[in-house]
Amino acid sequence: MPTSKVGTTPSLPNFLKSLKHNDIETSIEAFISLLKRRLVRGSRPCAIATVNLLLRVVGEERIKDAHKLIERIRDVGRRLVAAQPREMAVGNVVRRVLEVVRERAEADQDAAAGSEGSTTSPTTPTELTPSSGAHALPKDLQIRAHGSAHGEKPTSNGVSDATAQRPALASTNTSYAGQAPSATSLFSILQHPTTASGGRSPYATPPGDNQSASSKSSSRRGEEAADAKGGEKLDIKAEVITGIIELQNELEDVDDEIASYALDHIHSNEIVLTHTSSQTVQKFLMTAARKRKFTVVHAEAYPNDHEATHATIVNGGRKGGDEDALGAGGDERWKPLTSMGITVILIPDSAVFALMSRINKVILAPHTVLANGSLLAGAGASTIALAAKTHHVPVVVLSGVYKLSPVYPFDTDELIEYGDPVKVVGFEEGRLVQGVDVVNPAYDWVDSDFVDLYITNLGAHAPSYLYRIIADHYRKEDTVLT
Amino acid sequence: MSEAAKAEGQAKPAEEPKLSPAELKKRAKAEKQARRAAQKDQQGGAGEAPAVNGRREEDRGQKQQDQKPKDGQQKGQQPQQQQKQAKQTAQSDGKHERSGSQHQNMPVRPKSVQPSEAKEQRETKQVELFSHLCTQPRRQDITGAHKDVHPTVAATGFQMSNYDICGSSARCVAMLLAFKEVIQAYALPKGKAFAMHFTPHYLSPQIDFLKSCRPISESMGNAIRYLKKIIGELDPDMQEQKVKEYLCEEIDRFIHERITVTDQAIAELASGQIKNGSVVLTYAKSAIVEKTILQAHAQGAQFRVIVVDSRPLFEGKQLAISLMTAGLDVEYLPFSGLAHAVKEATLLLLGAHSMLSNGRLQSRIGTASVAMQAHKAHIPVIVCCESVKFSGKVALDSIVLNEVAPSEELLLQKPTATMQPPSDQKANDDEEDEGKLRSLHDWKEIRGLQILNLMYDVTPAEYIRMVICEYGNVPPSSVPAVHRLANEGM
Repeated sequence: MPTSKVGTTPSLPNFLKSLKHNDIETSIEAFISLLKRRLVRGSRPCAIATVNLLLRVVGEERIKDAHKLIERIRDVGRRLVAAQPREMAVGNVVRRVLEVVRERAEADQDAAAGSEGSTTSPTTPTELTPSSGAHALPKDLQIRAHGSAHGEKPTSNGVSDATAQRPALASTNTSYAGQAPSATSLFSILQHPTTASGGRSPYATPPGDNQSASSKSSSRRGEEAADAKGGEKLDIKAEVITGIIELQNELEDVDDEIASYALDHIHSNEIVLTHTSSQTVQKFLMTAARKRKFTVVHAEAYPNDHEATHATIVNGGRKGGDEDALGAGGDERWKPLTSMGITVILIPDSAVFALMSRINKVILAPHTVLANGSLLAGAGASTIALAAKTHHVPVVVLSGVYKLSPVYPFDTDELIEYGDPVKVVGFEEGRLVQGVDVVNPAYDWVDSDFVDLYITNLGAHAPSYLYRIIADHYRKEDTVLT
Repeated sequence: MSEAAKAEGQAKPAEEPKLSPAELKKRAKAEKQARRAAQKDQQGGAGEAPAVNGRREEDRGQKQQDQKPKDGQQKGQQPQQQQKQAKQTAQSDGKHERSGSQHQNMPVRPKSVQPSEAKEQRETKQVELFSHLCTQPRRQDITGAHKDVHPTVAATGFQMSNYDICGSSARCVAMLLAFKEVIQAYALPKGKAFAMHFTPHYLSPQIDFLKSCRPISESMGNAIRYLKKIIGELDPDMQEQKVKEYLCEEIDRFIHERITVTDQAIAELASGQIKNGSVVLTYAKSAIVEKTILQAHAQGAQFRVIVVDSRPLFEGKQLAISLMTAGLDVEYLPFSGLAHAVKEATLLLLGAHSMLSNGRLQSRIGTASVAMQAHKAHIPVIVCCESVKFSGKVALDSIVLNEVAPSEELLLQKPTATMQPPSDQKANDDEEDEGKLRSLHDWKEIRGLQILNLMYDVTPAEYIRMVICEYGNVPPSSVPAVHRLANEGM
């Protein structure tokens, strides 16, 4: 985890700090580069960064209707996911935000439909094509490429795009299209407090001025169309922002919520095996340790996570970068399990099978949970899960809902990331480096058959039930972001 | 280090004259008394300290009594520890006797309690499940060793405890070679039969010394049994020099027949399993697997090797280098990459520490996981094992029969400025303000933290498709039959 405090170092805390004063395009680019350079890795940091970024995107954008907002978020999401497809938490958070927007929009729509009948003639649904989404990306890229110069191309593209999108807009929001509050009041209400500095950037689009005349006029038309209708839709953006902040809070509290189930699952004098230095698992065990005495066998996850594991065992841990983002300053840390009178036995990964016959429960922390209840976790997890299955030891997976991904693992190989081989064979062993293929898989795929229980912040579920939770949190139409 | 030990070992027996049988008897008696006293101490406490041992013994008993409330769970450890203490005192007693003093009372020094206290603290670091295996730490020096321990044996012992000599067969060969020197150095006391005197009075201390360096392997046990058997069958009329020559020849023959030639035969047999296009998976390092792979390579088969390795010994690195040097295509993965390794492999070749009579395989820790993954991936698991490693013992899990290596081996190198990852750096900076960041190197000070470094695990027989030994390819269920044929009838 990048943790240096030097202002220029690209890292998660710095990124989150810079979010406040940088404009959106710069922030998106900064995050993309962090993802690409693997300076932000792990589900939690990625999720936190994404949710903060999307909060800014939604807050900053002068987008007044749900459909455009969805397109904008999808567009940003697409770029983020393309930057690091294996950090599925990014895509998950994007989908969650999209879900929030869709839900609010629908509620709004329902309310509007309930209060008044549809007054405008709706455009035919056939015009609502995914092509409008496809247009968004090139347009955005081109605008970025041309910068503030605003050459001919982006202008014309903007026109075509605006026209392509408008009917779609009208068709989704049939009930209120054509009657909406005035544009000025929308601007004043929806303006995010932090947008005051937005005008500085060449990429930002301040209201009205440096947009091309045609696209402006087209958007005006939309606004005017929206003007006429009632005030209930006025809050959609604010509602979305509330929804994102809720998501942000969920990310923060996820460990505590999962930990609150600890006493339901850990009994006295139990021997629990865990793996890697997961914060969630540590919190979970700490919560149980307050009431009960048990033994923890900790596999060290060499070579990718063993240092962090050792540090966690010896010193406890700290809550990751989100604290800095909120400006709370002091990071919340927790003591090691040993300080609570728990016996912790550190073993190398190879000893897992030998000890498994005495283990009562295996607790794993996934990197991502996939749609069919299988999961990706730190390398070695598959061996542990298989050994547990062999010995009929229950495997419990602690996962925040943000780790649940609607991606179905058709090809598990492509989901696995490979780490730095230097961690396996250092350069001091020149002969090996030269003549031997050194492979260091960072993650293992574990089939759902090997998992007995998932504990998420919503409760405990069988792996076979996860698809429902996924269906509750994501929309089908967002499963494929690209 | 072993050089120094060797020198020390050489010096020690030289300065101590041979004991007369009477003296030996006396010493044995004293030893027995001490042991009994220690046991009584343990059971009865201060009041019932035997009169023979006098007041001092009583003092000691009192002290131990005081300690008892503190020990709690480690109670089981005490008798052995005391026994050892008693043994040591008995030994020093023996020396006293030799120097002329004829005390019945054991001169037990009060300070002998001190080490026991130190040990007690250490014991909280022992994993309770494995406390039966952590009876004593590995010997690192010659102090307290039997006076007759031969310098070659001492050197071999230290090489074993340092893993300079590692692997069941290698240790067996090294031991037998050392025993050849032991036999040559032995001088038969007058009026004694070789068979009656050599084994209990000269060979046993050597074996005990090797055991204290590292628990002996099954192959070593079989070799010792064999050696004792041929010594027992010696013609009593045979001359001493003849006997020595005969024994050395027998040892050479044993090494040749049971290990050298056997290895070749097994390599020959097993290399037939490696076909063109095979992807051979192997774990850690086994001399015989290495030989097999090299043989298959020499026979012209085109195949790839995947070496999976584990902490802390990283034996696989040596294997990878050796195979790489031979021109093979080698892939090297850490243990965590196991799931990845079995995806491509078509054959798993394993070495053995020992084949147990219930068909299970005892081998380097981690082997069971590798075999399990291979079994799940429907890859044949083949064990290459000389019959000398077949054992009459049985085990159902890896806990009863095992060896616990020093936990310190699992500690990473002390982080230096260059090696430290950036994350730790920050943790350090932060912590230095608070002044309480600890590393795993402080594990002994952290209550409740234990590090477990097991040496072996037991692979269930159902994962093993075939065992290749010099008698041919057998299923794991035939292990006891081969064991009877090879080790019990010899």
